[in-house]
Amino acid sequence: MIQLIGVTKTYPNGVGALYDINLHVGKEEFMFIVGPSGAGKTTLLRMLYKEESPTMGEVIVDRVKVNNLTAEQVPYLRRNIGVVFQDYKLLPKRTVYENVAFALQVTGTPHFQVRRRVMQALELVALLRKANSFPDELSGGEKQRTCIARAIVNNPPILLADEPTGSLDPTTSWDIIQLLDKINKRNTTVLVATHNKSIVDGMKKRVVALEGGRMIRDQQLGAYSGERLSNA
Amino acid sequence: MLSTLTFFISESFISLRRNGLMTMVAVGTITVSLCIFGFFLLSIINMSNIVSNLGTKVDLVAYASQPLTDTEAENVRLQISRIDGVKEAKWISKDKAWKDFKEEFSDRLKLEEIVDSNPLPDTFFVKMLNPELSAKVSKEIARISLIEEVGFNPNLVDKIETLVEAFRIGGLMLVFLLSLATLLIVVNTIRLTVLARETEIVIMRLVGATRSFIRWPFIIEGIILGMLGSGISIVIIKFTYEAIIVRLQNALPFVTLFTNHFWIGCVYFLVAIVGVLLGMLGGYISVNKQLKEEN
Ligand SMILES: Nc1ncnc2c1ncn2[C@@H]1O[C@H](COP(=O)(O)OP(=O)(O)O)[C@@H](O)[C@H]1O
Ligand SMILES: [Mg+2]
Repeated sequence: MIQLIGVTKTYPNGVGALYDINLHVGKEEFMFIVGPSGAGKTTLLRMLYKEESPTMGEVIVDRVKVNNLTAEQVPYLRRNIGVVFQDYKLLPKRTVYENVAFALQVTGTPHFQVRRRVMQALELVALLRKANSFPDELSGGEKQRTCIARAIVNNPPILLADEPTGSLDPTTSWDIIQLLDKINKRNTTVLVATHNKSIVDGMKKRVVALEGGRMIRDQQLGAYSGERLSNA
Repeated sequence: MLSTLTFFISESFISLRRNGLMTMVAVGTITVSLCIFGFFLLSIINMSNIVSNLGTKVDLVAYASQPLTDTEAENVRLQISRIDGVKEAKWISKDKAWKDFKEEFSDRLKLEEIVDSNPLPDTFFVKMLNPELSAKVSKEIARISLIEEVGFNPNLVDKIETLVEAFRIGGLMLVFLLSLATLLIVVNTIRLTVLARETEIVIMRLVGATRSFIRWPFIIEGIILGMLGSGISIVIIKFTYEAIIVRLQNALPFVTLFTNHFWIGCVYFLVAIVGVLLGMLGGYISVNKQLKEEN
């Protein structure tokens, strides 16, 4: 589903963010990308939806070479990739329903489909009863659920989450990760960048660890740090 | 498709209302610029009209050097009318000229008391096809034997034409500068909306809205600004022009002002087109800047 071949990214200001990353993520996978702040997790995710382009190497998403896409084609790539952020990026003057519907309206979804699909997405994230609330009336977990609903409302095959639990308490964080897992089980490839140790350890999913822009570990059924596994 | 358009238009109106003051400033600026543009066009039309009327009214007058017989006079008249640029030449015998003159001035002067013999020469009134040729034609007439002098200020029309030309060039420059200033204000107004909706644009891009989709609401916003501005200025121009025409026509009855509805309609049409185009361009520029910054 996702493939990175020898990907290196140096920002225009000379900062090297990623070095020679080789990675393959299958269709049904749920994968964590871990590493300390500045390791390059965000940069890696941004390259998948062409918010950044690699300096060297190849990024392939759903058999499409992302490097070669023109500015006119990029929007269609992004309709296949939902993205979730630590800071939610919700529109403050729109309700939960409107925030989710926005993603459909601006991609030209026929009017008669919008309501049904928004309701389905809100049901999936268990937020139907908050449909008419505004973002500042929501708890952090509810905001993140809204953000997730918006990311999946048009059923993308891929969902990326960049520090989705970064601003949440442990219990809520765990709920959110469970939700992402549920979405993964509905046939969506899920990549989660995080430095939340307990979550990664609790999920026992594939873990790719970055450090200083280099991939230092790629483990199935992994944990946040390598040592723990060597203890086991 | 329809739902998309409704979405765009309602989004545009929402943001125009949100930036109320700036919207008014922009509409005001567009209105002022378009009014000046419209009046400039109307002035140009009127001046061209006056100059071409001038051409048919300003005749050359040629005076014979000695009393002419009928055959001599007819001969001279034919020579004049054969010159390029002459529409027609008419002979007024010295007797008829004297009679006309006396009739016209009888109540003011007692001419017979001063001059008892006819002092006027045989006269030829010359109508021109094209007033621009007057200077050349008057020289040629002066070359005909039996013609003493050609009465007419050959520079007058030239001078008026130079004036009109200068006005036209100056006006065009003014219109150009005004359009630029208007464009800047429109760009700035819509830029406010763009900035106010920065998060929305980020999210639109994120969820895969196409660039043209992102652009349209802002272009529509520009079009709405342009339509408001040109609507108001057309109303202003129409009423002001009609008021001016009535006053001027009373004050200067010999000047024919332009009232042809077709051409005046064209001026309004042009004002509307320019207004809408300015708005569109302004919207496009302001959002494009944002789209270029990312990507
Ligand atoms: N837009 C940018 N311009 C320049 N340098 C950047 C930019 N974004 C990130 N970086 C740098 O790239 C490196 C990796 O950053 P990032 O991918 O955000 O790491 P992480 O998400 O793991 O914290 C850091 O050194 C960071 O300073
Ligand atoms: Mg990051």
